[in-house]
Amino acid sequence: MSDAPLISIRNLHATAGETPILKGIDLDIREGEVHAVMGPNGSGKSTLSNVLVGKPGYEVTQGEILFRGESLVDMEPEIRAREGVFLAFQYPVEIPGVANSYFLRTAVNAMREHRGLDELDAIDFLTLLKEKMKLVEMPEDMMSRSINEGFSGGEKKRNEILQMLLLEPSFCILDETDSGLDIDALRVVANGVNQMRSADRAMLVITHYQRLLDYIVPDHVHVLSNGRIVRSGDKSLALELEEKGYGWIEEHSGEAYTRGAHS
Amino acid sequence: MSAAIRSLASLREPIAAKRSGAIPAPALARRLEALAQDGFAAFEEQGIPTRRLEQWKGTNLARLEAMSFTRVGPTSTTTTTEASAGDEAGESFDLEFVDGRLLPPSASRATLPEGVRVLSLAEAAVDAPELLEAHLGAIPDLKRESLVALNTALFEDVALIHLERRARTDRPIRIRSLATADGPESASASFPRLTVVAEPDSEATIFFESGCRGEAPGLTTFVAEYQLAAGARIETVEVQTGGPERIHVTSSHARLEANARFESHVFSLGTGLVRGELWVTLDEPGAETRMRGFFLGREHGHVDHFTTVDHAAAHCTSDEEYRGVLGDDSDGVFRGRVIIRAGAQQSDARQSNPNLLLSDRASIDTKPQLEIYADDVRASHGATIGQLDEDALFFLRARGIDAAEARLVLTRGFAFRIVEGIENESVRADVGSQVEAALAALHPTAIAAAAGDTAKSAAAADSGGRRA
Repeated sequence: MSDAPLISIRNLHATAGETPILKGIDLDIREGEVHAVMGPNGSGKSTLSNVLVGKPGYEVTQGEILFRGESLVDMEPEIRAREGVFLAFQYPVEIPGVANSYFLRTAVNAMREHRGLDELDAIDFLTLLKEKMKLVEMPEDMMSRSINEGFSGGEKKRNEILQMLLLEPSFCILDETDSGLDIDALRVVANGVNQMRSADRAMLVITHYQRLLDYIVPDHVHVLSNGRIVRSGDKSLALELEEKGYGWIEEHSGEAYTRGAHS
Repeated sequence: MSAAIRSLASLREPIAAKRSGAIPAPALARRLEALAQDGFAAFEEQGIPTRRLEQWKGTNLARLEAMSFTRVGPTSTTTTTEASAGDEAGESFDLEFVDGRLLPPSASRATLPEGVRVLSLAEAAVDAPELLEAHLGAIPDLKRESLVALNTALFEDVALIHLERRARTDRPIRIRSLATADGPESASASFPRLTVVAEPDSEATIFFESGCRGEAPGLTTFVAEYQLAAGARIETVEVQTGGPERIHVTSSHARLEANARFESHVFSLGTGLVRGELWVTLDEPGAETRMRGFFLGREHGHVDHFTTVDHAAAHCTSDEEYRGVLGDDSDGVFRGRVIIRAGAQQSDARQSNPNLLLSDRASIDTKPQLEIYADDVRASHGATIGQLDEDALFFLRARGIDAAEARLVLTRGFAFRIVEGIENESVRADVGSQVEAALAALHPTAIAAAAGDTAKSAAAADSGGRRA
């Protein structure tokens, strides 16, 4: 593990459309670390994840995002993905007519090509796919079906984790992966994520509720409010937040902001 | 009179001679000659269709008017070798047309099961003259369809498929038609023809491929007739490919008796002027049809599909879906007519025509046309014109797939909804790879340019506050 952060976010300001959402975020994440970002609705959690992967419509207006020392902001979304940035979407899209297995193989081979590896043929790919599907307890018929079409909420999230397992990113962002999941699905998804935890990989877990963090235990917890990180701590911060509610943070962040302004 | 009509008229004699030469029985020869003469009279009477006709509104045949035809049928040097040059190994056709004339039959017909016959005109004249008498030219109305009349006037050969009662074949019947081209000043014409007679409860898949070799002006007019007796099930798959100089017209006509089922899958993948007509008549109760089409506009291509389903009896079902992808500088036209006659109660008619526009220079003109004279029916129709879904495009890019390929993946997904409807597995795989190859040939710079526009329009949508 090197000392330099894998991803370094500095004074990040961003808009969604014309609306300023992120108002100065600073965050360093090192390899091997799991960071959680919590916050109330509208605090900028999803904007942060969308900005990190370069979704059209989101614009960085100030500050920078360095990934292995290089600016992410200037990279096309597909380049960021190939460099190892992965977002498990909060609302995975349904794509009629595109078979899940066809899509996964295309994505895996795009990634392999970028890393200078040979394409996987159909048989090698299937072997790999089956191995990863077991980890997220996914039935085989979901491969021949169109991407996410007719999948339940839990199946869609499992499919996201399956993509993560196959693409082996070095930086995984999970955007409200727990939303809409029952406890069994949550366990399966968390299990998949925990398989990915390793010394050379970092994770950013974005969530509204503490519940997910019982399964994916973070090293650091940050609270986002009104587009800024207003508090950081270890996993106990999540529990405290669960107990006292976001109102507690917003009161305190007001103070913090005032204090900061005077110092 | 246009150059085209004058030149075609002068080519009638040799064709008539070749046709009658194939038929030993004078009575049948005279009958076919009379049919051809009726065809030419009807063609002369109507001329080449113009846009003044309702059903030709979307397509201008001025290019055809200007063609001067120097031959109908193959040149004396066009032989089997030329026709099969460039074929992939292992491909075999039960019958193969070159410029409207059937080549000597291949050995593959021997593997067809008992009760399934695939015959040339000369063979049918000996083995099944009564079928030719009864069915050749029986369905289309020459007085209203001048290009079918033209084919009827100038066809040289016919592929006749006969399925005996309860006969069925698991392997598809494969027929190919190739047209060859000459120089820029001398157009060639090809008039292949297919007649299918399916006796009660018979079943088959027919795979018809049509293409052309060489880049020079020419006309192919293909006429197919399907007569389905009670309980017969026919799946027909037609793939059309061809270069920019070719005018390719298909006119398919099906008539269904009680509880028959006719599934048509049409794929228009060429770059020239394409007109695909499909006429289905549900003549007796319980008849059912599925009409599926995929058309791809590329380069300066023009693709026009005109379909009519006629619910002439009660308790019949029609389910139609044509999908269009228009890229580059192409134009698409879709006209879907649904007629439900008085007395055709409990009809169920569905129609849809989703289209994808990949370039801002491409266009689609789509119009459903429902004519309903019964009151207890279910009928629905819908046409859409759209671009690729932005969220889907971004999703694929976020998985490392570059923008151009992501567009191709989504376009393929759109098209494969139709490919996947083909029941016969081997035909489905074959058509799938042809569709894929045609999509891959969409101009790459057009794709890149459109991807740039996409980012802009997404940003514009965001500033409108559409996204959360």
